Order: sequence, then structure tokens, then C-alpha cells
Amino acid sequence: MYGNKIMDYFKANGISVGDKVRISYNGTSTDGELMPSTEYNDPDVLIIKLKNGYNIGINFSKVKLEKLEGPNTPIEFPKVKLAGQKDLPRISMIYTGGTIGSRIDYKTGGVYMLTKPEELLFDVPEVSKIANIVIEPLFSIASEDMSYLEWQKMAEDTADALNKGAKGVVITHGTDTMHYTSAALSFMLQGLNAPVVLTGSQRSSDRGSSDAFMNLVCSAYAAAQSDIAEVGVCMHSTSSDDECAYMRGTKVRKMHTSRRDAFRAINGKPLAYIGKGGMIRYNSQYRKVQAENKEVHAQTKFEPKVAIVKAYPDSEPDIMDFYMGKKYRGIIIEGTGLGHAPVSTSHQEYQWLPKIKEAADSGIVIGITSQCIYGRVNSSVYRNLRLMSSAGAIYCEDMTPETAYVKLGWLLGNYDAAKARELLPANLVGEIGARSEYDDFIDEEG
Amino acid sequence: MEDKTMDHYKGIGFMCGLEIHQRLDTVSKLFCRCSTNPENDVEYAHVDRQQRAVAGELGVIDPSARFEESRQRVFRYKVYRNSSCLVDIDEEPPHEINQDALSIALSIASAFGMPVFDELQPMRKEVVDGSDPSAFQRTVLIGRGGRIAIDGVPVDITDMSLEEESSGIADTENNVITYDTSRLGIPLVEIDTGPGIPTPEFAKKAALYIGTALRLSGRVKRGIGTIRQDVNVSIKGGARVEIKGLQDLDFMDKYIENEVLRQQNLLKIVDVLKGRNASVMEIADLSQLFESTNASIIKKGMESGGAVMGFGMKGFRGVLGSELLPGRRLGTEISDYAKMAGVGGIIHSDEDLTKYGFSPSELEGIRKALGISETDSFILIAAEKARCQKAIAIARDRALQALSGVPLETRAAVNDQRYTTKFLRPLPGGSRMYPETDIKPIKINQDALASAEKSAPRLDQEISTLSKDLKDAQLANALILSGKLPLYKAVAGSTSADKRFIASVLLQKMTELRRKGYAVDSIHDEDIIAVFKRYDDGTITKQAIEEVIKALSKGSRDIDKVIAEGSLHRISGKALKDLVSSFSKSVQSSGKDDLRDKIMSKYRLVVDGEELNKAL
Repeated sequence: MYGNKIMDYFKANGISVGDKVRISYNGTSTDGELMPSTEYNDPDVLIIKLKNGYNIGINFSKVKLEKLEGPNTPIEFPKVKLAGQKDLPRISMIYTGGTIGSRIDYKTGGVYMLTKPEELLFDVPEVSKIANIVIEPLFSIASEDMSYLEWQKMAEDTADALNKGAKGVVITHGTDTMHYTSAALSFMLQGLNAPVVLTGSQRSSDRGSSDAFMNLVCSAYAAAQSDIAEVGVCMHSTSSDDECAYMRGTKVRKMHTSRRDAFRAINGKPLAYIGKGGMIRYNSQYRKVQAENKEVHAQTKFEPKVAIVKAYPDSEPDIMDFYMGKKYRGIIIEGTGLGHAPVSTSHQEYQWLPKIKEAADSGIVIGITSQCIYGRVNSSVYRNLRLMSSAGAIYCEDMTPETAYVKLGWLLGNYDAAKARELLPANLVGEIGARSEYDDFIDEEG
Repeated sequence: MEDKTMDHYKGIGFMCGLEIHQRLDTVSKLFCRCSTNPENDVEYAHVDRQQRAVAGELGVIDPSARFEESRQRVFRYKVYRNSSCLVDIDEEPPHEINQDALSIALSIASAFGMPVFDELQPMRKEVVDGSDPSAFQRTVLIGRGGRIAIDGVPVDITDMSLEEESSGIADTENNVITYDTSRLGIPLVEIDTGPGIPTPEFAKKAALYIGTALRLSGRVKRGIGTIRQDVNVSIKGGARVEIKGLQDLDFMDKYIENEVLRQQNLLKIVDVLKGRNASVMEIADLSQLFESTNASIIKKGMESGGAVMGFGMKGFRGVLGSELLPGRRLGTEISDYAKMAGVGGIIHSDEDLTKYGFSPSELEGIRKALGISETDSFILIAAEKARCQKAIAIARDRALQALSGVPLETRAAVNDQRYTTKFLRPLPGGSRMYPETDIKPIKINQDALASAEKSAPRLDQEISTLSKDLKDAQLANALILSGKLPLYKAVAGSTSADKRFIASVLLQKMTELRRKGYAVDSIHDEDIIAVFKRYDDGTITKQAIEEVIKALSKGSRDIDKVIAEGSLHRISGKALKDLVSSFSKSVQSSGKDDLRDKIMSKYRLVVDGEELNKAL
């Protein structure tokens, strides 16, 4: 941000960002375009874009600044006509923001969320040859800023699109919390009979190497051509641009901060691999699209007063008091190993058992998951586990903490605590597997 | 500087500028902490990627990027244990800028009298050929408006940037281009001169001078590929052409002279074609004419769904075959363009077409189909249909340009002893550049500038000191431009040998031996220093230095062994006196001078003349 001294000068001289300007310093002068200053720039430094494309920063006190001409009127992004071929299956593309739904401003470097739906497909025109696409801008929100309120809208929009005849739905989404959304939609979309595909990108689409392009192409294929009647996340299966993995919405997790193959199936396998040319290779059991087409119902009620609490060495159970005080109705404990929290410790201040019991007795539903991420929790192998179980904690099988959290919020939104307690460890939409297969653990193929 | 030459080049509107890219000698890369020393590193993985042409701020896709995308090539990036990481394969955001690289760049800027900006703005420069897995190169403009004087002629150093090295092509097979990411991201500085370099000869001098100034910093990488000099050349009526891949600076002037000639010849062609009212006609599909051809080149192209396409060129007869440079004709140029689309080349009517097996009726058929006569020319391409269409369109575009002059191009120097260049790709328009938002702007403080100034290599001062030391300005200049300055300084600093003598050995003697076929460039600097030390401490004589160097050039690294085996130990002191007395007894001589000559002729390599005089 430019400082006051510069802003005052701009005001006094009728100069604004985007103007063609001449700066003179050190006995030379240079023409360029006045750029905005960001929060990272020195407020006393002028940022000028030179004709060769470089930006430079020069102390305002050193230069003479003249305006040459006013800013160019912004040029409208060209309209993209989607092919709209009638014989292709119709799919809806709902965009919600995130890296895949944003563009970089090539002049300022600022990232802005898309405002025009056509920009999403501008760089991947072939998507309109895969399906007849209806683009539905829903919102432009980075995924870390989303809440259950956005999940509800996405569920409603998706159900609406499907009930109006869409063959499938693609939702473009920020990646950070995409696996929370995919879990939420998995529970909310009751009677789902079509593919609902969440996709995003780890590299912004201003660069030719972005993963957004192939992710969009593969997701469009999955929505238009697959017979998977489940919510899934469709992202790069490896670091190469070969194919995407379609992973069950309740059994997927972002496992890397930056790689394009960050999303991995957890305690299960990808349902399918989608090649960039449209080849679908089914890979494990999934719910198939049924011939009889019933309406999908968005059952979106959600109880946000559910917390995730992590148990770790030196973790004090007093945190439970906070949630009890705030009238929380559910707590997912991310335990260690098979689902432990400190319960037999000789240090009284770290003793979780009384608090778990107190919370459970007060009607809070307590679910136990594992911070191991991979594997299944167990309530009986060790005495400590049995103690927690007897105190009223529910062991959440092979669900990730995130899926258990979403599921509990959804259950408490739609059922009473007793029913929620009963359903939390039961499989509803594929979130709990009855068996743990040998190759469901970290491996290259995800 | 010969005025006539300068005037000549001024007269033809000669413009010439240099772009010098020099890798810096840092421990780690510019935006990650990978090693910059890929030697012996182990490749352990690779990733395959495809890149797209993306729309810029105006929603417009660059044609060269679109062309590249249409080739649907797969870029394979090799990943190495120590010299590449997730940052290099576009899987992790860049780390902070390497401070060491930045301070080296600042001191180089200072050496070129270049004012540095107060806050540096990291940028992304779009790259479309796959050489960067992120599809852009990170670059920072350090400063502008520097100036140096070379031989009294002022040379503008207009821009200097600090940027990432690209990855090198390791292999090209079918549609897969394999790149080596180990060198990707090594810091390099790009130094651009203004376009005012007056002659080809001076361009060479300027390149040597700048290269030497960089080496003088002691912080740049040495060895093959660590410095690249690209030249931009144009003449009046011509166009800017960038020549890349000049391996040997010695011939830079020849390549530039040839580019001037090529542009002149292209302009002559324009005149000829104008005089004939020449034109390029539309493309036609000629496949039907060749369904049962005997021309092998066409047959091969027609295999498995191929096509033959061509176009006529009115008034071009003889022009396609006219030589632009030794061995390079206009036809060769057009062919190089067509090859971009993945075809083997073109067939044109200025060639002897019977050698391909065309029948006279086929030739007549072609002319008829294209609507041209005997005085006109045609170009044909036979290849897989889609490729053929693309290639013939590109070829036609190039043929059209022959009517108007010199196309803007990037050309590659051909290592053919004839100093020719070949078309590489169209000169990219201004590269699209936009801010690298993953890296914060870099504030340059006064301390950094002060220390840069202190550590800056000062070539001008170096020359004046050297001129005084050597009492010979020409020798000083020659030494600077030879690149031997650091070695000279090391020898002069560690021995008391006469400085002029050191310089003459390093320049004249070494050149003489190189010409005789001795691999003197393979001798390690420390071994050369050691030779002078042996001379300095009296182990060997001045004359023996050459013999030791000869022996070292054959691969030995044990100097004392070389001296012993060559019986090159200096005879001095009492041993010399003994030699004189025994020699005078056994050999007849007609006096002192004769005796000295006789001793010297036998012991030239091991006896010092001065000492002998005294002993006599």
C-alpha cells in the first residue's frame, strides 16, 4: 500500500494507479505504468512496470514523477461461447472459488476470484466437447473460509441441478477443505443417483503447467460418462499429467501442502482412475447409477457445535470444559494410535477420563478417531481404550477425523443425540469400511 | 579501431547488442536450497507433464504458445537426489531468494556502474518450450543504465537481471522431450548491452571484456555452458535477429558478419522478386497426383494416411536456390521452418527433382494443378496429413516473408567452420511478464550496496594497474581479454618472477604451444602456479618452464617427477662452477664467450645464462 506522502502527491497531481508515467532519477528518465503497491511493498516505494515487462521499485523521495496519460480503459475478457452441443450429456459446473476458480491479474500479480463463468473454461475449451456444460457461479470463497453454510448451498444447488436433469455435477473448489465438503455432500445428498465430482487445483491457472486443466477435463469426463452414484474428489493421481483419481468423498484427504497429487484415498482405494483422454478405469466397489431415477433430496441440516480435539502428550482435558460451557453437542477426539487419550496417567492434570465421562454424561456425543489417519480405531485392545469406551466414547472405525466430524455435525443436525450415537459408528454412505485391505495404506498410487 | 570499418557498419545501419548469461557460483539454487553442483548426482524419478497456452490479461493467447501447445508434446522432467526438489518440478512454492546470489549480482552491478533499484520486484517470465516445469522463469531486474568503457569506446549496460537457469534438454524422442532439472534454478545474471556496438569485431571484444569482468568477481561458475553470449544483429531494412549458441567467442565476429550478409542477401531477393512482380499462391492438396508415384520421398510421406501438399510461387524461379550463406539457400530457410511442424523437410523446384524419381508427367501435373508455368517455382511437402497441413502453412508463411525482407528470428549458430546460423524459432514478442506473488519484494539497503561496491570487480582499475606493472598497455589488455588474469594474479602474487615474463608465458608461450598441438588448456591452474614457484626457488631455469608445461599438457600432475624425469633440475652454485671447470678442461674453446656458448648449447635448459656469466 502506498504511504500517505505518495497518496497525497497522487491526489494533488491527479495521478492514479494504471496511469502511464515518467519517472526521472539519477539524471535519466524512464516511462512505464504506475502499479499498485501491495501489503508487502515499502509504502515509500513507487512500483513501475517498464515496457519490457519488468516491475521496478524506486524510492519516491528520489524521483520526479509525471503523468503522461490516463489509464487505459480496462479491456473486457473475451466472451467464450461454450459449444453447447445438444447430443452431449448435460452436466452442471458449480464454481465456488479457490485456486481453480481464480485468476491472476497479470499486471498487478494480485489474485482475484473469477467473476465471469466463461473464464473458467477459457483455457480448457475442449471441456465443452466432453459435455454440454451449464456453468453455475455459486460463490467465490477460498475453501479455508468456508463453513457448513456453504456446504448447505452447494448441496441444494447440486440437488437442484440433478433434479433438473443434469447427468452429473462438477464442483470447482479450493483444495484446503475440499475433503470436508466432499464428506458433507456425501451425507447431505440423500438418494444420490449421479456422479458429483469435486475438483480443484494446487497450481494457479495463470501458468501453463497448472493442474487445473487436466483436473477439469477428467472431472468433466467423470461427471458426464461415469456411472458412479457417489460424491467424489477428482484430482491428479500422481505428479504427472496422466490421469486423475476419483476418490470417495468420505474416504479422501489432502495429504500434502503443495503437490498436485495431494489428495489420497484413505483406508480405501480410488473408485476409478480417469485418463486425460476420457478413459475410465474402475478400481474398486462403488454405488452405481440406478436406471430408476428418483429425485435426490438435499438434507442439509447441520449442527456446527461439534469440535475436533486433539489428544497429545501434555494435552490438558480442560479444553472439554470450554466446549461443555459453550453448549457443544459433539466432540471428535483425534486420539493417538488406536484411539487413545491419556487416561491412566499419574499426572492428574492430564487425566482425560473424568472429563470424557462428564461430557458424555451431559449428553455430548463423543467420537474417537485416530491421528494416525490410516487404519481403524479399536475400543478393546488395551485397557485404556476400554476405559474410554465405558466412559461413553464412541469408536469411529476407519473414518478420518474430518469425516467423523462432518458426519457427527450432520447427524446431530438431523437426529437426536441417542440416534446420532447409534449411527456414528454405522456405515451410511461408504464412510466406514467393514474390511481393511492390505493395500489400503500409503503407496505411490494412492 | 579502424575508422573505415566503423564507417562501413554505420553506413549499413548496423545495430548490435549482446545478452550475456553467466551462472553464479553459489552453493544452492536461487529459490530453493538444492545443490548447484549436479556432477555425479543420481536421478531417482521423473514426472511427465503437458503445458498449455494460457490467456494473458487481455484474454489473448500468444501465438507461439498456442503453436507449442498444438504440438501436444509431453515434457518429462528428471528428478535428482541432491540437485532437484519439489520446487524444481513445480510442486512447491519457491523459497526465499538466495542472499548470496543477490549479493554477487549487486557487486556485479556495481562493477558496471549500474544504479540498483531500491526495491526489487520478482517476476515470472512466461516460457513456452517446456524448459521450465512451471512454464515460467523467475527473474528479478536488478538495475538499469550502467556504462563501461572498452578500449575507450563507451558501451551501455542497459539492463541486468538475476534469474533462474532453465533446465537442459536431455533427450528428444518422438513426442517426448526429456529435461534435466538438475541445473534448473541455478542463479544466473543476464547482462544486456545497448544496441550501439559499432562493429562485429568490437562485439567480440565487448563479450570478452564483460566475461572477464564477471570472472574477476571470483563468484561465477567456470566451464562449458556456464556462460552464454547471445547476439542481436540487424541492418537497415533488415530485422532484429538473435543468434544463440555461440560456443567459441573467437568466432563471434564471423557469425555476426555472416548475419549481416544473410540479411543483405535477403534484401536483394526482395528487390529481385519485386522486379518480377512475384507472388505466393494458395495451398493445394496434390495427393491424387501421386497415387502411383515412383518418387521415393513422396511414397514415404504418403504411407499410412499421408498427404502431399504444395503451393506455387510466381516469379520465384532460381530464388529458392540462391545462396544466402555458404550452403544455406532460401529453400533451406523455408525447409527449417517447415520442420517445426515435425516434417522431414520440403521439396522445391529449384532442386534437381529427377533425383527424387519424379516423372516428367508428374512435374507437369504439379505445375498444372498449381496453375504455374516453367518460370515459376513450387514447394511440396509429403507427410502424415495433419502434420503436412501445418508444415505447408508454415512454409508458405515463410515464403511470403521473402517478398518483404528479413523475418524476426532466433537463430542457432551452426558449428560448421563456415560460421552459418540456422532458424531456431520466431523471435518471441515481448515475453509476458507478471509479478511472482509467491516471493515478497526485496528491499535493498545501504549496507548491501556498500558491501557490493567494496567487493565489486573493477576491471578498469585492474587494467591500469596491470599496464603499470607490465609497462605495456597492449599486453595488459590482451591479458585481460584472454581470461588468464586470475591465473596471472595468482602467479604474480606467489612468486617474485618478472611480471612481463609471467604474462608472456601465459599469453604468447601458451598460445604457441596450443598451436603446436599441446593440450595446454587441460593443465590445472595450480600446476601452472607450481611451475613458476619451481622457477622462483631455483629448482628450474626460465627455459625449462616450457618443457615442464609441455610434459604437464600430456596429463601428468606430478611436477617434481616431470622435472626429475626430464633431467630439468637447474645446475647452479657450486655444481655450476664444477661444471664450468670440468667443461673448460674437456672442451676446447676460443675464449670465454665461446665457452659460454658451448655450455649453453648443451645445458640450455638447466643453466641460467646470467649465473653462468658470473661463474665464468
